[in-house]
Amino acid sequence: MKGLFKYFKGYRVQCVLGPLFKLLEASFELLVPLVVAAIIDTGIKTENRTYIIQMCAVMVVLGIVGLICSVTAQYFAARAAVGFTKKLRHALFEKIQGFSYTQLDKLGTATVITRMTSDTNQVQTGVNLTLRLLLRSPFVVLGAMVMAFTIDIKSALIFAVTIPVLSVIVFGIMLISIPLYKKVQSHLDGVTQTTRESLTGARVIRAFALESSETDTFRQRNDMLTKVQRFVGKISALMNPLTYAIINAAIVWLIHTGALRVYSGVLSPGQVVALYNYMSQILIELIKFASLIISITKSAACAKRISDVLNITSLPDNAVEPMPENKDIEFKNVSLRYADAGDNTLTDISFKAYQGQTVGIIGGTGSGKTSLVNLIPAFYKATSGKILIGGKEISQIDTDVLRQNVAVVPQHAVLFSGTIRENMLWGNSGATDIQIQKALKIAQASDIISAKENGLDSIIEQNGRNLSGGQRQRLTIARALVKNAPFLILDDSSCALDYATDARLRSALKNLENKPTTFIVSQRTSSIKHADIIIVLDDGHAVGIGTHEQLLESCEVYREIYESQYKKEGKI
Amino acid sequence: MKNKSTLKQILIYLKPYLWLIILSVIFSAVSVVLTLYIPILIGRGIDLIVDTGNVDFNGLLPILIQIVIIAAVTALLQWLINTINNRITFKTVRDIRNAAFEKIQCLPFSFLDSHPSGEIVSRVIADADQFADGLLLGFTQLFTGIVTIIGTLIFMLSIHAGITLIVVVLTPLSFFMAKFIASRTYSMFKLQSATRGEQTAFIDEIIPNQKTVKAFSREIQCLEKFDEINERLEKCSLKATFYSSLTNPCTRFINSLVYTGVGLGGALIAVSGGITVGALTCFLSYANQYTKPFNEISGVVTEFQNALACAARLFELIDQKPQSKDGTRVLSDTSGNVVIDNVSFSYSPNRELIKNLNLKVDPGLKIAIVGPTGCGKTTLINLLMRFYDVNKGEIKVDGININEITRASLRRSYGMVLQDTWLKTGTIRENIIMGKPDATEQQIVDAAKAAHSHSFIKRLPNGYDTVISEGGEGLSQGQRQLLCITRIMLSLPPMLILDEATSSIDTRTEIRIQKAFAQMMEGRTTFIVAHRLSTIREADMILVMKDGNIIEQGNHETLLAANGFYAKLYNSQFEQS
Repeated sequence: MKGLFKYFKGYRVQCVLGPLFKLLEASFELLVPLVVAAIIDTGIKTENRTYIIQMCAVMVVLGIVGLICSVTAQYFAARAAVGFTKKLRHALFEKIQGFSYTQLDKLGTATVITRMTSDTNQVQTGVNLTLRLLLRSPFVVLGAMVMAFTIDIKSALIFAVTIPVLSVIVFGIMLISIPLYKKVQSHLDGVTQTTRESLTGARVIRAFALESSETDTFRQRNDMLTKVQRFVGKISALMNPLTYAIINAAIVWLIHTGALRVYSGVLSPGQVVALYNYMSQILIELIKFASLIISITKSAACAKRISDVLNITSLPDNAVEPMPENKDIEFKNVSLRYADAGDNTLTDISFKAYQGQTVGIIGGTGSGKTSLVNLIPAFYKATSGKILIGGKEISQIDTDVLRQNVAVVPQHAVLFSGTIRENMLWGNSGATDIQIQKALKIAQASDIISAKENGLDSIIEQNGRNLSGGQRQRLTIARALVKNAPFLILDDSSCALDYATDARLRSALKNLENKPTTFIVSQRTSSIKHADIIIVLDDGHAVGIGTHEQLLESCEVYREIYESQYKKEGKI
Repeated sequence: MKNKSTLKQILIYLKPYLWLIILSVIFSAVSVVLTLYIPILIGRGIDLIVDTGNVDFNGLLPILIQIVIIAAVTALLQWLINTINNRITFKTVRDIRNAAFEKIQCLPFSFLDSHPSGEIVSRVIADADQFADGLLLGFTQLFTGIVTIIGTLIFMLSIHAGITLIVVVLTPLSFFMAKFIASRTYSMFKLQSATRGEQTAFIDEIIPNQKTVKAFSREIQCLEKFDEINERLEKCSLKATFYSSLTNPCTRFINSLVYTGVGLGGALIAVSGGITVGALTCFLSYANQYTKPFNEISGVVTEFQNALACAARLFELIDQKPQSKDGTRVLSDTSGNVVIDNVSFSYSPNRELIKNLNLKVDPGLKIAIVGPTGCGKTTLINLLMRFYDVNKGEIKVDGININEITRASLRRSYGMVLQDTWLKTGTIRENIIMGKPDATEQQIVDAAKAAHSHSFIKRLPNGYDTVISEGGEGLSQGQRQLLCITRIMLSLPPMLILDEATSSIDTRTEIRIQKAFAQMMEGRTTFIVAHRLSTIREADMILVMKDGNIIEQGNHETLLAANGFYAKLYNSQFEQS
C-alpha cells in the first residue's frame, strides 16, 4: 500500500499545506474559551463595556481568520485528493491494459471494474478526509488539554484522566462493532440470496412444491439476521450514554476542583468557565475522530485492493524478432495448462498448415478448440512444445507484430460504442472506405450498412445493443477482414448465422485474393467439412487430423459427431 | 391519498410494538428535557463560585450531586431508547420481509414473469432497510429535534428573553448557509456524477472486452480515451469536492458569530446585572447546540419522504393479488391420462394466444410439440403445470380438473427439465435431491450416471459436495443442464415435461443421454418441446402448433405424408445440414 504514495507526487505541497492550515484554524478555535474567560473575568467584573466589545471583536476576527484558514485547507485537500485519484485511476487503467490473458482471467472482470470505480472513489474521499480531519480532531482534543494545563495544572489533570477513558470507550466500542457489522452484512447477503433465488428459480421451486421449505429457510435466515443486528445494536447503543455520563462526571469533578481553586485564589470564575468549555469540546471531537477512523479504514481497505492490482508484475516482453516472410505454421507437441488448473487443457498437439490453407477445428464443448486458436496470437503461452511460423518460434516474435499479423473473430461478437467506421478501423486505422466496404461485402454485412441512413457513420451503442446477434457477428468478421492479416481465426463465429449466409461467407472467404491461413472453430461439421486439414479435439487431445473423408474413415469421434448431426437433422 | 393508505399499513406493522413506541417517545421527551436542564445547573453552580474566598460550597455540593444523578438517569434513558428503537426497527423489518417473502411464494407467474427479479429483490432488501431507517429512526430524530428546540426555547426564555431573541434570530443563519451552499453545489455534483457515469460506462465497455482490445493491439488508444475522460473528471470533481467542503467551515463561522453575539449581548446585560455569569455560560452552551436539531430535522424530512416511498413499494408487493385458490384433491400415482378440453388462454386480454385447444393424451404416450417461435409451446407447459390458469375450458389429469387438485401434488406428478437451467446455491447433492430429499447415495449416483453427469461431478474439487452458486459459475451451460436432468432421473415422477432439455449439450453426449431418456419415458406420459427434429421423430404423437392452435396432429410418417406445415418445417431443417 505504501507504493500508492508515489501518486501524491506533484501534490506534496498541498498535502502539507492542507493539514497545516487546518491546524491553524483549530488553534484559533482553541483561543475562543480564553477570550470568553477574559470577558467574564475582566469585562463583566470591572463592568468595562468597551473591553467586552473589543473582546467580541477579537472573537469575530478569530472566526474570520479561522474561516480563511479552513477554506484554504479545504482547497488544498480537495486538490491533492482529486489529483491523486486521477493519477491512481490512470495508473490502474494503464496497468490493466498491460495484463496478459492469464492475468485477466485470474483477476476477473467484476473485481477490476470495482477497483476502477467505487474503490477509487472511496479512496478519493478517504484522502480528502485524512488531509482535512485526521490531524484536526486529535489536535483539538490534545490542544484543549494543553490549554487546560496553561490555565491550571491541577484542574488539567482531570483532562488527562477523562481523555484516555473516553478514547477507550469510543474506540473500544468501534473495534468490537466493526467485525460484527461485517457479520450483519454477510447475514444480509444470505437473506438477499434466498430472496433472489426464490424469484429466479420460481418455476423449479414450485415444480418440486418446495415453497414452504424455501419459506422456512428464509424465516430462519431472517431471524438470524435480526438477532445479529440487535446484538450489534445493543453494543453500539452503549456509546452515547456512556460517553455522556463520563463527560458530565468529569464536568462535575472539574467544577468542584475549580470551586476549590477559586476559593484559594488560584483560579478566577472565568477560567473555570473556560475549562468547562474545553471539556465540552473534547467529546464532540472524539466522536468525530472515531467516525473518521471508520471511513479511513474503509478507504484503506479499498486502497489495499487497488494496490494489490498495481503490484501485479506484468511479464516483461523481450521478444523482438520480426515476422518471417514464410507464413507456414506448425504446432510441435504443444500442451497447455491454464494457471491454477489441475489438468491440461490441450495435450501434445502437433500439426502443420501451409500458407493460405484452411484449418477446421471441431470437438464438443470444453474440448479445447478456443484454447488452441488462442495460442496462435500468443494470447496464452504454450506450457510445453513449440509453435513455429516460418520456422521461427512465435515466443521470439515481437508480440505486437505477431498480433498485427493475426485477425481474430472472437466467439462473443464484441463491438464498441462509436460509429461503424470506427469499429472497422480497429485492426487497421489506415483503411479506406473502399477497403471497409469490400470487407463488409465478404462478411455478408453490406446490407446492414445500406439499411442504415448514415451508412458507415451509423452509431453502434455500447456492446452493440442496437444490432442483432447475427449483425454483430457479421460486423466482427468484417472488422477482422479489414485488418487484412496473413492469419484469420474464426472462433465459432458463424453460429448466429443462418445456413445460407454461412455458406456464402465461406465461399467468399475461399475466393479471397491473398488468402490468409484460416482457422475455423466450429461445432458443426458442415462448417469445416471442406477445410484442408481438420483437427478433431476430444478433451484436449487431437484424436484425429486429416480431411473430412479421411476422418470419416479413421476417426470414431469425428464420425460420431458427423452422424449425430447429419442423421439428426434428416437423412435417414 | 396514497400516502395515507401507506401510513395506515405501516401502522398495522407497528401495532405489535405500540407500547414500545409509546415508551420510546416518553423516554425521549424526558431525556431531552434532562439534557437541557444540565447546562442550567452548571450555570447555577458557576454562579456560586464568585471569587477568592467567596465560594458557596454548601450550595454547590447539592447542585453537583444533582448533575451527576441527572446525567446518570439521562444516560440510562438514552441507552433504553436506543435498545427499544433497535428492537422496533429490526423486528418490523423482519416482519415485513417475512410477509413479502411469503407473498412471493404465492404470487402468480403473471406477476413474476412481468417483473425483473432484481427489482423485487431490491424491494425486499433495500427498500425494507430504507423504510426502517428512514421512518423509525427519522421519527425519533424528528421528535427529539422538535422537543429539543421547544425545550431550549423555554429554558432560554425562563432565563432571559433578550438573549433568547439573539439566538432565535441568528441561529437559522447557519442553516440557510448550509442550504445555500448545497443548492449551489448541486449542479457541480450533477456534472461530477455524469462524468463519473461516463467513465464507468467506458470502463464497463473496455474491461470486460479487454481481450478483444489486446487482440487488436488497441491498448494505447483506449488509454488515451480514458485519460481524456479522466482529465475532465478531475476538473469537475475538484469543483464539487471543494465547494461542498465549504459547508462545514461556513456554518462553523456563522455559529461562531452567533456565539459571539450571545457572548456580547449576554456580557453587556450581565454588566448591568440582567443575568449572572452562570446564566451566560448556560446561554453559550445552548447557542452551541441550538443549530443541531434544525440541521437534523431538514435531513429527516427528505428521509421521511424517501422512507414512505420505499414503504409504498414494499406494500405494493405485499398487497399483490395472490394466485388463484388451490385445489383440495391430492393427486397420487397418476396413470398419466391428460385431457385438454376446449382451452383458451392469453397473457394479455387484447392478444389472444391459445383458442379452443383440444387434446387427449393416453397414459404413457410421448407427445412432441413443434412449431415456430411464439406459437404457444411454452405456454402449453405453463398451463399443464398450472403456472398459469386457463381462461376458458379445462385441463384434466386422470379425469380430474387440475383446478381441483392441489398445486403441489399436480406439479410433483410432472418431472420438468427446462431450457433455462436453474440451480440453487448449495452443493451438487442438494441440487440433485430437490425432488427426492430422502434419496440414498446409491440412488443419487445411479441417477447421475444415467444422466452422464457422474463423470464431471466426480472431477469437481469436492465431488457431490462441491458448492455451486446460483449463477452456476464454474459449470458450463451443458453441465448445468445435465444436473437438471439428473434431478429428474432421480425423482422419476409419473409424467415428464422436457422443454428443450438438451439444447446446450453437445450432440455426441446428447445421443448418449437420449438412451437414458428413452428408458425413463417408457410408460410415462411425456411432453417434449424440441427444435431438433430427431428428438421429435420418435414421438407417438406430434402436435404442430402455430399461433396458439394445433394445426396438425399425427406421427412423423403421417404428417410427412400429409405434406403440410410439418413437412415444410422438417424439410427446411433438413436442408440446413
